[in-house]
Amino acid sequence: MAEVDVIVVGSGPSAVNAAYPLVEAGLRVTMLDVGNRDTTYEETIPEGPFSELRRTDEQQHRYLLGESFEGIAFGHAGAGAQLTPPRQYVARDAERLLPIVSGSFFPLQSLAEGGLGGGWGAGSPQFCEADLDGFPIRLTDLQPHYEAVAARIGISGAHDDLVPFLGDLQAMQPAVAIDSNGESILRRYQKRRAAANQAGLFLGHPRLAMLSQPLRGRSPTRYWDMDFWSDAGKSIYRPRWTVDELRGFPGFRFVGRRLVQSFTETADGGVIVAARDLDSGRIEELRARAVVLAAGTLGTARIVLRSFQLYGRRIPLVCNPHTYVAMLNANSLGKDARDARHSMAQLCVVHAPDGAQRRFTVGHVYSYRSLLLFRLMKYSPLPFREGMEMLRLLSPSFSVLILQHEDRPSPDKYCALARAGDGGEDRLEVEYALSPSDRAQHDAVETAVLRGLLRLRCVTLRRLHEGNAASTHFAGTFPMSEAPARDDDLTTDKHGRLRRARNVYIADGSVFPSLPSKGLTFTMMANADRIGCHLRTVLRPGSR
Amino acid sequence: MDSDALRREADAFCRYLVDAPPPDALIERYVRANDVLLTEAPSPGDQAVIDFACAHPRSIAMLDAGTALSGKAPLFRKKLLVMMAIVETTPAFVGQTEPRNASLPGLAARLGLSAARMAVNVAAGLALSTAIARRRRG
Repeated sequence: MAEVDVIVVGSGPSAVNAAYPLVEAGLRVTMLDVGNRDTTYEETIPEGPFSELRRTDEQQHRYLLGESFEGIAFGHAGAGAQLTPPRQYVARDAERLLPIVSGSFFPLQSLAEGGLGGGWGAGSPQFCEADLDGFPIRLTDLQPHYEAVAARIGISGAHDDLVPFLGDLQAMQPAVAIDSNGESILRRYQKRRAAANQAGLFLGHPRLAMLSQPLRGRSPTRYWDMDFWSDAGKSIYRPRWTVDELRGFPGFRFVGRRLVQSFTETADGGVIVAARDLDSGRIEELRARAVVLAAGTLGTARIVLRSFQLYGRRIPLVCNPHTYVAMLNANSLGKDARDARHSMAQLCVVHAPDGAQRRFTVGHVYSYRSLLLFRLMKYSPLPFREGMEMLRLLSPSFSVLILQHEDRPSPDKYCALARAGDGGEDRLEVEYALSPSDRAQHDAVETAVLRGLLRLRCVTLRRLHEGNAASTHFAGTFPMSEAPARDDDLTTDKHGRLRRARNVYIADGSVFPSLPSKGLTFTMMANADRIGCHLRTVLRPGSR
Repeated sequence: MDSDALRREADAFCRYLVDAPPPDALIERYVRANDVLLTEAPSPGDQAVIDFACAHPRSIAMLDAGTALSGKAPLFRKKLLVMMAIVETTPAFVGQTEPRNASLPGLAARLGLSAARMAVNVAAGLALSTAIARRRRG
């Protein structure tokens, strides 16, 4: 059996950023993943602004509604509701191959090339020192890796009021332009900044993995408002751009259609990874000096628990609770809205009554433009004809605030692997319940944020809680810690090495002991880069 | 459901939403969407509302308003949602479905007019859907 230096499991944001420093150092790296791609829509979406395609493209229904009308969903939104038909490949096969049993947690999982990063909203705040409370690393450990990843993937943002909360980057590109709806809120905030800050409310440009300047063959955003539908121009970072870059290195190999099952360590320190070839059904074994698991928090949990035959063993799970708030921005009523815009978050809102040194809450404000009005009508108690007329008039001033709350482990949030009884796939059983005090705290924070936004003339229309897994920010299953709590501890050390193994590392969200009120993706990528950099010093090329 | 009935629905619902008959391609799309998305058998209450709406297209505005508020006839509402999605992704109707800018007085006037129309339709629709339900029961 041929041996490579490192096997990386997965191809999502963590996987590619863990692989990059290893491959760059000349190590032989094999990436194993199912690697589903969109084979239906990519070629059918013309290049051009959304508003123009709406007026001219007779075939728009094919990608806006989907070939099988999968874009018209009834019922609860839940995790994955943001995936338009061209993005739904991200979740393809996951329900079948990665079954979850739960009455309280319905997560989105991915077997796509690029993982959940294929549908990522590109929000890229950095963690602050306060966010790393309980982690065995400090901000100084992460900062060089934030810079390395920012230079690799492109982060745009502004040096504005939010720097104390979102961090600072030398490699940051200038902020992308805010649309007319967001601009009017920001102007109002700037006029009332002192009072807003006094109340703990801060507003500014979001940090986005969206280019405002060219980078590595990718184009800056063209403000076509097509970002929910198409990746034309590649202005928004998708991990598969990095997979494509890695393919250019001689030491890198991507092996698709492989679902990794387990690993075993050999007496001489090597690791054997067993992966199922999804075409032949055969189990293949591959050998490496070290393995980096980055299959996503839930995917990695399956692999680790199966490898140690720990069926039934409960491990912690955390996930940012998410709240969607539909708002009407009275500042922009009666004013013309510009068609030229990007589709991602226009503003970032921070609620920090105790400043940046204590825990605070972060939200993002989106305008509602390119997701079509019929999706809104589903939530509306209005008749269609009048409802459509009202939404046409009000949607240029319509905003959606997505607020996420921090999450910490508790006995009511866990997952466990159950053996497949019928020759099918092992099932991950998940329980997730927020305590009444958590809920009360979330409610208090939301009320304070919405009161602050009301002072900026953003009127709340409706609050929606879309279920426990809606944020798709999963973490905490194999937390990093200074020292193991018990001998049989399923934790990782500060370098992401699984303590039960010698050469198995975890580079995805699994190692985050808790989640602050922020998207974790950029930090996950920075941490993966940190783990990759550590591993390359351990496995210097040619040392074996 | 037979495709002739679906074609009649498509015609009635499209005229209701955008004041225009649907082109053939749009009707076919509506039929196909129903085949894919709305596979459950309609409840007798739903079927009665849909039948009445297709037989009396002028009643659709009232039935839509009444059922939006009462939550009755969920299949009827789903069918209207499907048609709205289809007309919204048809370039011929973009003028009736895309977001529009309006001055503040214009906005207030249009919203007021829509709200007044809606109020009338809700009142009429609630009475009409109750009458349809009574007639169905016997």
